[in-house]
Formats: sequence, structure tokens, C-alpha cells
Amino acid sequence: MATVVDSSNPKSNFPIQYRELNYLNCSKGWKSWFFTLDHKRIGIMYLIGVTTAFFLGGIFAMLLRTELLSPAKILMGPDSYNQMFTLHGAIMTFLVIIPGVPAAIGNIILPVMLGAKDVAFPRMNLGSFFLWMFGASFFLAAMVLGGLDTGWTFYTPYSVTTNTAVITSLFGVFVLGFSSIFTGLNFIVTIHTMRPPGMTWFKMPLFLWAIYATALIQILATPVLGITGLLLIVERAFHIGIFDPAYGGDPVLFQHFFWFYSHPAVYVMILPAMGVVSEVIAVHSRKHIFGYRFIAYSSIAIAIFGFLVWGHHMFVSGQSKVVAVVFSAITFSVSIPSAIKVFNWLTTMYKGSIHFTTAMCYALSFLFIFAIGGLTGLFLATLATDIHLHDTYFVVAHFHYVMMGSSLMGLFAAVHHWWPKITGKMFNEFWGRIGCLGVFLGFNLTFFPQFLLGTRGMPRRYYTYLPEFQGLHILSTMGAYLLGISSALMAATLIYSIYRGKKAPANPWGGASLEWQCSSPPPHNNFDHPPLAGDPYVMESVVYNEEIGGYVPAECQKDDDGSVTASGDKEV
Amino acid sequence: MNTAATNPTDEHADSHDHEHHDPRLAHHFDSHQQQFDTGKLGIWLFLVTEVLFFSGLFGFYAVYRSLHPEVFLYASQFLDTTLGAANTVVLLFSSLTMAWGVRCAQLGQTRGLLACLVITLACAAIFLGVKSFEYAEKAHHHLLPGNLYQSPENHGPVADAAAPATGTTATAGHGEADHAHEQLAADHSDESLFEKTKHTLSYISTALWVVILLSGIGLAVLFKNPNKKTLAAVAGCVLISAIGIQLGAYASIGYHHFGHAAEPTAQEIEMAKTAPAEYAKQTEKIPEPLLARTFFSVYFCMTGVHAIHIIGGMIAISWLIVRTVHGAFTTYYFGAVDFIGLYWHLVDLIWIYLFPLLYLIN
Repeated sequence: MATVVDSSNPKSNFPIQYRELNYLNCSKGWKSWFFTLDHKRIGIMYLIGVTTAFFLGGIFAMLLRTELLSPAKILMGPDSYNQMFTLHGAIMTFLVIIPGVPAAIGNIILPVMLGAKDVAFPRMNLGSFFLWMFGASFFLAAMVLGGLDTGWTFYTPYSVTTNTAVITSLFGVFVLGFSSIFTGLNFIVTIHTMRPPGMTWFKMPLFLWAIYATALIQILATPVLGITGLLLIVERAFHIGIFDPAYGGDPVLFQHFFWFYSHPAVYVMILPAMGVVSEVIAVHSRKHIFGYRFIAYSSIAIAIFGFLVWGHHMFVSGQSKVVAVVFSAITFSVSIPSAIKVFNWLTTMYKGSIHFTTAMCYALSFLFIFAIGGLTGLFLATLATDIHLHDTYFVVAHFHYVMMGSSLMGLFAAVHHWWPKITGKMFNEFWGRIGCLGVFLGFNLTFFPQFLLGTRGMPRRYYTYLPEFQGLHILSTMGAYLLGISSALMAATLIYSIYRGKKAPANPWGGASLEWQCSSPPPHNNFDHPPLAGDPYVMESVVYNEEIGGYVPAECQKDDDGSVTASGDKEV
Repeated sequence: MNTAATNPTDEHADSHDHEHHDPRLAHHFDSHQQQFDTGKLGIWLFLVTEVLFFSGLFGFYAVYRSLHPEVFLYASQFLDTTLGAANTVVLLFSSLTMAWGVRCAQLGQTRGLLACLVITLACAAIFLGVKSFEYAEKAHHHLLPGNLYQSPENHGPVADAAAPATGTTATAGHGEADHAHEQLAADHSDESLFEKTKHTLSYISTALWVVILLSGIGLAVLFKNPNKKTLAAVAGCVLISAIGIQLGAYASIGYHHFGHAAEPTAQEIEMAKTAPAEYAKQTEKIPEPLLARTFFSVYFCMTGVHAIHIIGGMIAISWLIVRTVHGAFTTYYFGAVDFIGLYWHLVDLIWIYLFPLLYLIN
């Protein structure tokens, strides 16, 4: 069994592996967490918050699926059903997926990856977390104050006439938007100004490129959502006649404003996951990433295209036919950078030495799910088929494949990949993989039948359905239960490792980017001296050391025996 | 197992400010230049988000103006161009003093910086004073967004909350009796709203006088006390803001009385009835467009959000004044002044767009 080398031993030429005094325990008390400026602690608090919201939204999903076991009433009436799918959507979108990878994982990993001591504006970073909590509290308040039944899209004119807590929720969205803006702004500035010596733009790990593209969207699109939310609040309060047709307003204008944000927001959800997958696949295939520049540019391309396709949500809303055709064409073109990424990941794995670690399993699940989610998007981008598929379960299945399946698979991969770095503990690989298998099967079982339901005409957001749909609905619900249980198993495996897991080495998977150069967990300051950055994908720069149970820099390994090459084979 | 005590590098873990002694340089930056560049990029990005935030409003403006140009032609005549122009001049001047202040900060001239910031703050307050008078005047004439709007033609409600669907055609389709009834009701509500506006204004004015008095006393007491610099500076900022708002409001009231003779409402209505040249060719008399109140929705949303930004800017400038009093800014550390200056210029710039778009139609 590998143990962690005592690097205080002067004979050892290895860097510090596990650090007893680290950012997690260097100061104590709730104030040292709540008012911390340390990006890692803020990231951990985000992670806890996001996880809590995920389980809350997940419970809603379970209840919804349970209700759909039968066309008749099981748990709730139609009004409760409307409120529940709205809150499920709103919580999952605004509280889980949007801050999931960028704010939680990005906060912890981004500065360490850059060899920096912190993000550019630590106080703004803490402020963004406070705003997140403040915004989340509005959602909780909305649940108490009569719920919300508009769908997460707040379409007018229903959102100005319903008597649920629309204003409270919108204010929550407004506040969460600023949380997102501040995170994005912080990351862009950090990447621009705080890269270490030697790290040029094209020597950045691809996760940073993805976060950069995401942050661009966050700061460019979110303000529009903010002002749209404000205008809708004012519309509801004073009937100023902007969006409400009863007062001369234009409800389609609301849809334009809303999707101008919310379509790019879809890429806020998926781009960071793509960045994670770029890292995970390269590291766990022990191979240099294939087509680095193409992946980097395609992130930026997706961010740019993302701003030009919002109209594809409105093909049946009565926009002009010319506009619809243009939006359709641009939507198709988004598939080009997405496909570039997928092919590069596949080529990276080709002839790689693939280690089926839990993180890699999640990354492979991502590839499978994203391929299906992306390809079914083409059906919806096609004008003629969209008329048929619009507002059916096909749409529900498609966006769950992309937003839930892909984004969350990315998040899970990230959590497992960086868990040893974040907590300093190794989780149980066996149970991790079982959890991954359950999540993967459960997810597909839940949402694949929904494609079939959609093509057969099952409309979305309906509380009841025709009897012939029941079989597929039951299948879907069973999948949801499996997904829920597996997510709980994953969480249990990870939480167990905090208490009983063995101590992690600095570089358990053999990554070559900078975050693996500091100890696990990192000290408060990350790096005492700015590290020198090289190519983050030269996997040969680290070799496996059995004594440590992790990878060490190749130059430290020269004198020692029992070394293996980067691909994990024994050296001859 | 490695224990941290054996590792000297971990000593920084608790207090990471020990490494360098300059409190003006945050621990995670290597140099003042890096810190400045970081802040500069940050504020520019923030300004980008601000522009996009307003872009929603400008988009809304563009859509409605292109759909209903007659609404904008008709309703913009109720805005007072002179007051708008005065406010534009005030804001432009404040931009000048702000830029001058940045220059002073770069040269290390603390007194000059303080003077510039104080003048900028005062200008912002004057702007708000004038704006509050304009809002009060609009409220007085029921030129308000949404339900609160009443047509200046007959002082009857264009739409009431009970029948929003028919509201947009209300002016056209009313019978004589209805009209008379409405007239009565409108007069009544007009009276009460007028009274309410007047009361609210007098309360606000009184409150401002109290604030001026208290903060003046505070400033006088604390002025020479070296231990209470922060409090004195805050009192000074409050005093300047309150005086500025009063000044702006009273100046507008004065202008309104002398510039508009006795009956401003009638004149404005007359202005509204008098057709603009090209419009007169099409119709004999300019009718009130159905969606006239949409203009006031646009007006209040845009200027309201802008006014909130002015208030935010005033808070930021006050914070700068407090820090200047403490001597925080030096020739190599003046980033905050520069950044807030940029923000202030953007707020001015938005007004530069708002003024012609709202006041100078036709």
C-alpha cells in the first residue's frame, strides 16, 4: 500500500505531498469561513451551496416523476405540479448549473491552475458568493410566499397575471445574475493579468480557455437578463405596458430579451463542462491533448455563436420567416465547434493509455450524452421539424441531455478529478465507479424514453397524459429513481472519503498542469514562489511513484527505483 | 507524514500580509503596476456590463419608437428641455472635475483631488435635485407610467386597472356622460395626488433641511479633530449632497415659476395641441396617441435606472473623499480614483444619450 512520503525528511527529493496545515484548517471558526477571502474556501462554500440546491431541485424532480407514473392524480394537483416544475427548473438553472462548474470548481481550481495566490478581486469574489446566497434566499422565500408557476422562463403575459410570487423570484434572478457577473469578471481579469511567467495564452490549460469563454458570456449576457427582470418586475407592479399586451406591450419582445440572455446561458452551463472534459480526458488517457488550438478556439467560437442564435427558441412565436431561417442556419453552425471538440477528445483517447478512473468514467459518459444531446439539437434547429417537436417532451429530453446530462457529468467529473486536490483525501474508486454507472444508466433511462414520448406528441409541462404514454413514463420515472439513488451514492462516497479516505498525494492522476504541483490540499497561499509554467499536457513530465502512490516530477524520480513511465507501464 | 511545523513556508498561512509592508499592495499582486492593470481591466469589463444593462432599455426604446413614432412626438413635448439641458451641463461639468481629480491624484495633489471630488459630488446632487423636481412635476400632471397615467387632454384616465383590455381605446370611445363622470373623478384624484405630491415634497424638503443642519453641525464639531476624520468626511459628504439636492430643486422651482408664468399646465397642453409642422399636414389637430403613456414608461424606467446609477456614483465618490482625507492616494496608488472616474464618465455618457433621445424629439 502506498504511503505518503515524509518530505520533511531531508533525504527526500520529492515535493510535499499531503500537507497537514492547509487552507482547510489554517484558521478555525465560522467567521474564518464566512468572511474568508481565500478563493478555495469560497469555492468550497459554493460547492456546498450548489450541492444543497441540487438535492432540493432533485427532490422536486423525483416528486414530478412520481406524479407522472400515472395519468391520474398521485401526489399533487395540477397547480402544485406547475409550481413544482417551475421551481425545479429555476433552482436547477439559476442555483445549480450556472454556478456549478464556474463558481464552485472554477473558484477552487482556476487560481491554482494559474499558479496565482488568489483571484484578482478576492473581496468581489466573496461578495459574489454572498449575492448567491441572497438570491437563493429569494427563491426560498418565493416557495413560501405562494410558489411560482410560470416556468423558469417567466413568459409574459402569464407572468404578469398569475398570482404567484413572480416579483420575489425575479428579484432573486436579478441578484443571482450579479453574482454570476462578478464571478465572470473576476475570472477574466485573473486570466488576463495573473498568469505566471512562461504561461502564454496558448500554454493555458484548456479548462482556463473554457472558463474564459464562459466568463465572457456571463458578463455580456447576464446584464440583459438583469434589466429584463427589472422591467418585468416594474411591468407587474405598475403595468407600464412594455411586455403586457393588455397595456400595449409586446410579449414577444420579452421572449427576445429573455433568450438573448438565456441562450448564451446555456453555454455558460456547457462550456465549463467541456473544459473539464478536456482536462480529464488528457490526464486519464496519459496523452497530450489532441488539437489544442482547435479546442481553445472552438470555446471562443461557441461563446460568440451563442449570442446569435436566441431566436431558435421562438420559431413558433410569430417572428418573421427570414429571421427564423437565419437563426436556424446560425444554430446549425454551432454544431461545428462542438463537433470539433468531440473529435479532438476522441482523438486524444486514440492510442492513449486510458485509466478508467471515476473521473474518466464521468468524462466518457459526458461524451456519450453530449453526442446525443447535441445531435438531437439539430432536429430542433430544423424549422419544419421544430414545428412538430416544439413544446413536446423531445425538447425536454434534448435540453436535459445537454444541460443536465452534459453539464452535470462535467461537474461530477470535475469533482472527482480534483477531489484529492480539494480535500486531500482519496475516495473509494470502486464505489465511485458504481455511482457513475448508476448515474449514467439512470440518466439515459430517464430521458431517452422522453425523446420517444416527444416524437409521439406528448406535450411538455402537462400534469396528465393519454394512457398510451404510460409505459414510457413509468420507464422514465424508474430511471429518475435510479439517478437519484446513484447521485446519493456518489455524494455518500465522497463525504465518506473526507472522514475515512486515505491521504492524497499531490498528483494522484498524473496531471501536468500547475494545480498538481502544489500539495494536496494546497496551503493558504497556494504557491510560495510563482511556479514556472510549461506545456500543461506533457504527461511524460511526471512519472508514477509507487511509494507515494501518485505521480512525481520526472526529474525527482531519476535516482529512485520502481519508477514507471507516464503511461503507467513498468520501466524496463 | 509530513507535519507543517517542519516546513517554514507554511508560516504565511495565517497572516499573509507579512511578506511585504506596503498596505496599499494586496498580497496576491507582485507589483503596483500589476494591481493597477488588474483594476483597470476590471472596471472596463464592469462598464461593459453596465452598457449591456442599459442596452435592454435602449432596445426597448428603439422598438417602441419605431413602432409608435407618434407617441414619442406627442409626449416628449411634456418634458422640459431647459431643465434637461441644464442637467446635461451640470453632468458634463462634473465629468470635467472628475477627470481633473484623477489628474490631481496622479500628481499627488491631495488638496486639489479633494476639491475636485467635492465639486463632482455637489454636481451629482444638483442633478438629482433637478431630476426630483422634474419627477414631481410629472407626478403632479399625472404623466406617469402605466395605470397612474392620465391623459393631459381631458385629465381622465386613459385606462383603469379594472378594464385594461379596453383601456387603450378609452379616449376614443367614451360617451358624454361617462366623460363627465370621469372628469369629475379625475379632478378629485388629481386634487388628492397633487396634495400628496405637495406633502411628500415638503416632507422631503424638510428632511433635507434637517440633514443639512445635523451634518453641518457634525462637520463643524469634528472638523479639526484628527481622530474623527472619517466621521467628519462622511458628515461633509452628506452635507454637500443635501445642499446640492436642495439647490437643484429650488433652482428648478424658481425657473419653473419665472419661466412658465402662472399656468404652466395650460401652456403645455396648448403646446401639445399645437401640431408640429410635418404632423399638421396630416391632421388638423394632434390627437393624443393611444399609447402616450408608454413614453412615460420609457422615460421613468430609463431616467430612473440612470438616477440610481448617479446615487451609486455619489456613494462611491463619498468613499473616495473619505479615503482622500486619510491620505490614501499617492502618485503610485490612485487606481480607485481612476476607476470610479471611469464609471462616472459612463454615467454621464448615458445621460448624454438619454437627453436627446427623450427631450429633443422633433
